[in-house]
Amino acid sequence: MARAGSAVHIACAFSLIEILAVLYRSHLKIGEAPDDAHGHHLVLSKGHGVMAQYACLREMGWLTDHDMDHYFGDGTLLKGLSDAHVPGVEVSSGSLGHGLSVGVGLALGEKRKGTGRRVFAVVGDGEANEGPIWEALLFASHFQLSNLTVILDVNGFQAMGPTREIMDLGCITGKLTAFGLETREVDGHDEAVLDRTLTELTNLPGDRPRGLVAHTIKGKGVSFMEGHNRWHYTRLTDETFHAAVAELN
Amino acid sequence: MRKAFSAALAAAAGKDPRVLLLTGDHGYALFDEVRRLRPDQYINAGVAEQNMVGVAAGLAKAGYRPVVYGLSAFVPVRVLEQIKIDVCYESLPVVFVGDGAGVVYSTLGASHQSTEDVAALRSLPGLSILSPADAAEMAAAMDLALAADGPVYLRMGKSDLGAVHTTTPTLQWGRMVPVQPGGGPLVWLATGSMVPTALTAAIEWADSAVWSVPCIKPLDAGHVAAVCGRHEAVVVLEEHSVYGGLGSAVAECTAARHPTWVCRIGVRDRFSRCCGSYEYLMHEHRLDVESVQAQVRDFVAALPARRSARPLAA
Repeated sequence: MARAGSAVHIACAFSLIEILAVLYRSHLKIGEAPDDAHGHHLVLSKGHGVMAQYACLREMGWLTDHDMDHYFGDGTLLKGLSDAHVPGVEVSSGSLGHGLSVGVGLALGEKRKGTGRRVFAVVGDGEANEGPIWEALLFASHFQLSNLTVILDVNGFQAMGPTREIMDLGCITGKLTAFGLETREVDGHDEAVLDRTLTELTNLPGDRPRGLVAHTIKGKGVSFMEGHNRWHYTRLTDETFHAAVAELN
Repeated sequence: MRKAFSAALAAAAGKDPRVLLLTGDHGYALFDEVRRLRPDQYINAGVAEQNMVGVAAGLAKAGYRPVVYGLSAFVPVRVLEQIKIDVCYESLPVVFVGDGAGVVYSTLGASHQSTEDVAALRSLPGLSILSPADAAEMAAAMDLALAADGPVYLRMGKSDLGAVHTTTPTLQWGRMVPVQPGGGPLVWLATGSMVPTALTAAIEWADSAVWSVPCIKPLDAGHVAAVCGRHEAVVVLEEHSVYGGLGSAVAECTAARHPTWVCRIGVRDRFSRCCGSYEYLMHEHRLDVESVQAQVRDFVAALPARRSARPLAA
């Protein structure tokens, strides 16, 4: 689908694919259909990585090969940024700094209802430039939303370059901890560690919201994309597509 | 009117546990009643309006009926994108209450005055806009808003300017409410705080009809055109910019269905220059009774030769 002919946000989808895979496989507990009223919520606040979510939705059987093959086709629904009209996609993002607040509202609602449903919100490190991210963290902590897990995909890059050069986050784990989150730090490409740490965070006692800082590599798995920010938003040619697929296989 | 809002909110919260009030650390005594009766349904989200609207969207997705309260200078304008993406795009049932609409925060300056909120919101798909004129309209507007299955903006003035209706009005989406019958050449359509002004100003033109427009969007174009069609010309009044508010909406309706002359009275393309009393600022913006009458006189004098012989000039 990344070869659809239009530019795509490909590199940031590769940084969070393992995070999403682990969530869908073991933590979201969504049953037969994406609108399962008992599963947990996945909020992809960094909507630019939505192609990774489409891949998961295809694996779950909720999207079809036809959907994938006709990405960006006239009259199709899968857009270049996450869109809540797609079954299985909880929030519309792409304008950054929106999704986490909606996730916080969902977590508050589920907590009030006592459903036991959790919210996993995936936020980008570039996205953390946005003020509402920090408003949302304050709120989550104040309202003791222990059913919220904020996963920060720290791939070190944003649209125009390295995060530390554009708007340095400094010690992000320290920041999340300071905002009242029970925070762990992991290699965001190690599925076993991700799985174990998410389980640990979910099972922790206490009222604090949970934070997971996942260190990742933008463009992970494709050597010519890793660390090269021109792959943030670009078009794949037949040549680069086949080269990338060969490496991923 | 604010008392009516407070009472309606407390009643709604008492009836329906899904109703949750969210405020961005504003409102003070306005929420004493709901906090006393239903403290668990009151959420102070802090001075963080953008997050508050996102949270409201999440709560609506979880099955709640959030009422988001703020000054109309902040909710909706500061959070326009959150209303668009988080709420309107999914047609979530969130009620936004913009308090202190217009220039009523007359001593606080441009940051707290809002004459652009309706214009900013009218183009958001699926969002309805209510602008009640008195306590009775407010109570009815709250009923409409809380029963809606999509997002609603309820614009509330801060000053209580008294009742405009002698009997309890029935509010319907898209419909105007008659305040004063009349068969004269002028029909006056006003919303919110400007309805009392319209009633007083209209005395100068014999047999003027006066309507309150508590529902700015949706606006039934056929109904508006039919009402306007019974008169020679239309005067529209709002404590809001003349761009994009009720005057624009009425002109759109009449242009399509019954072209006529429309005098749009509102805030011109400017901010308040000075501070002072509310009355002073309304005069500065030419929205007091005498200034309105002067503008209508000019409008009437400039009208082309009319089709009927009924006198327009006083």
